[in-house]
Amino acid sequence: MTNWRSTIIPTWCPGCQDFVIYAGLQNTLVKLDLNRDKTVIVYDIGCIGNMADFVKAWGIHSLHGRAIPVAVGIKMANPELTVIAVGGDGGIYGEGLSHLIAAARLNIDITVIVANNQLYSLTTGQSSPTTPKGAKTKSTPKGVESVPVVPLELIKAVNPEALAQHVSCDEPLKVNEAMEKAIKHVGFDLLDLDQLCVSFGKQLR
Amino acid sequence: MDKTWTIKIAGPAGTGIKSVGLLLAQILNESGYFLKDYSEYPSLVRGGHNTYQVTFSAGEVYSVHKMIDIFVSLVPGHWQEHEKEFTKETLVFSDNDGKINLPLGEMCGQLGSTIYGNTISLGLICYLIDIDKDKAKKIVSRHFGEDSPNLEAFEAGWQWGENNCQKLTVDKGKSKDKKIIVDGNEAAGWGLYKAGLDMFVAYPMTPATGLLHFLAKNQDEFKMKVVHPEDEIAVASIASGASMAGARTAVGTSGGGFALMTETISFDAMAGLGVVYFLSQRPGPATGMPTWTSQGDLLFAVHSGHGEFLKAVLAPGDQEEAFELGKLSLNLANKFDIPVIMLSDKNLSESSANTIDFEKEKEEIIKSEKEIPGKGQKIKLYNSYEHNEEGFSVENANEAKKSIETRLKKIKAILKEMPKVNLFGSDKAKKIIVSWGSTKGAILEALKEMSNKEDFAFLQIRGMWPIDPRIGKIINAFPEKILIENNAMGQLETLLKSQTTVDFTKRILKYDGRPFFPEEIKEALND
Repeated sequence: MTNWRSTIIPTWCPGCQDFVIYAGLQNTLVKLDLNRDKTVIVYDIGCIGNMADFVKAWGIHSLHGRAIPVAVGIKMANPELTVIAVGGDGGIYGEGLSHLIAAARLNIDITVIVANNQLYSLTTGQSSPTTPKGAKTKSTPKGVESVPVVPLELIKAVNPEALAQHVSCDEPLKVNEAMEKAIKHVGFDLLDLDQLCVSFGKQLR
Repeated sequence: MDKTWTIKIAGPAGTGIKSVGLLLAQILNESGYFLKDYSEYPSLVRGGHNTYQVTFSAGEVYSVHKMIDIFVSLVPGHWQEHEKEFTKETLVFSDNDGKINLPLGEMCGQLGSTIYGNTISLGLICYLIDIDKDKAKKIVSRHFGEDSPNLEAFEAGWQWGENNCQKLTVDKGKSKDKKIIVDGNEAAGWGLYKAGLDMFVAYPMTPATGLLHFLAKNQDEFKMKVVHPEDEIAVASIASGASMAGARTAVGTSGGGFALMTETISFDAMAGLGVVYFLSQRPGPATGMPTWTSQGDLLFAVHSGHGEFLKAVLAPGDQEEAFELGKLSLNLANKFDIPVIMLSDKNLSESSANTIDFEKEKEEIIKSEKEIPGKGQKIKLYNSYEHNEEGFSVENANEAKKSIETRLKKIKAILKEMPKVNLFGSDKAKKIIVSWGSTKGAILEALKEMSNKEDFAFLQIRGMWPIDPRIGKIINAFPEKILIENNAMGQLETLLKSQTTVDFTKRILKYDGRPFFPEEIKEALND
């Protein structure tokens, strides 16, 4: 059985649901018995991106918003590799939204996992593309003016052939199941994982 | 010295100027002449004013000339803005337009379409410069097909010449080793291919688009993947990912697209991923003048990307150097796992010359030693954060310092492999001209024709960054130092001053979107 954990202890806040995603990914990689040498994980910037240091696998800790095009480049260069991109709502639905749309249109066989906590948390709590309209955050003390991005609807509109799933981190077993389905799926897939930030997300409850 | 001849064809976009230019260049090439060409066109698809000009000679030619021997206006009204390029001897043809009356309208009418004006003109030109008619017609039929009315059009132009003009006395071409006609973009593409390019990623942007078209068209034959993604940020990011997976990778763009790629240049340097950035300059800032030329992005290229890191910046001066440095760029990127920028400009990218046959040149592939997935190597994380050898993030002061020093100490090894300067002329000359990039051609062409050429040496810098500080010594050995650049601020001077004690005594700068012509350089040097 491959151990996919590095020796570095995760730095997330106690109670953070990124642990659910981390554990889910470890379990799924083991369950699917993926070849470590042929699996590459690309991480975006943000709390979930810090998982780069906690996993023992081939990887790129890319720039903010760029996990998807980097993953696309890896898959194009070597289609034999299993390629997984992990990011947050800021990187995937904000800074890198055009890349999400392009990869879904291309239907390239990569898996995109998003820790969607509706907030920029590593930068201490500003509004993100999925923050509900009207929510008050540090960057929007008068309330968010935009309507939020709805990831599943978006992917469906762009390419109905792509697989898009939405699961809450409150249900870890469902997270595991969805991850397994996503990685097995041939073609583009998005797994949107709903969570709330334990440190800065109280106003969103 | 062999006489040079310059031919210019002008007309609105859509009249086939580019295709007739290409045919003329092929005919001249297969007739054994040396040639350089140059096109001007505005950023539109139909209408406007386009020109194609070619300078050829039985002897070596380094650049097109400004002054014209034969000028053809494909429709009336297109010679007037070129009057300053005419001498008393210039043959100017236009349809009922105050110059030699070439009845293109009437002749096209007889052939049944206005589209034949270009091929009629080609026939006339070939007659005037005493080309072997059968050879020319063979090239025309190869291009248009054996039954094409264009052959009739060529014949009509030739006949009109026989009936109305005297042939010019043009020395026969005798060159044997110039085999193919390529522009700078294609030459760079051949170079990248011969260095084992696996993947080329680009978003169209003039004047770099030709490289995308060339590689896209040849991707199966060249066994490479060519990708055109959603934007330039994706272009560079896809290239970085591909490089991590073991592909030899390059991207192509111009200044505006390169601006979007600069975050990735910084990332490549931090993560240790080799990627070639082909940057073909045009005048900025902003959208600037898309279809014109400039050397305005030298400092931008050298300083691109946030943070302190090593990159290499190379600048070829002509098509054959674009091939050589194209190869070298990809090998440097892979040998040192760094971003490498290859600087071209519109004047090089979109101008053609006849060159050696690149297809017959040997491959040179220096492989990266970095770990890649799928080969049973030691696992690694390629990290945009400061990191240790395994790739895990570090913030500890000592570890961070060590990592930075490990990256920066490659500079000596990189400097050794940068392209050497070209020094033309005698080191006993009184004056040294210093320049870089595509100005090479106009400078060499000017010096070729100057009676006082022994007064000048010419130093062409090709390794722009890291720049060899010994260049300062070479320049300082000459009493007079002349800077020539196709930009407004003298960016090479700024760069040299940051690393050497060079002080120029004269600066010749041009920044109107047009390249230097040898006539202008001659005049400025003797001023």
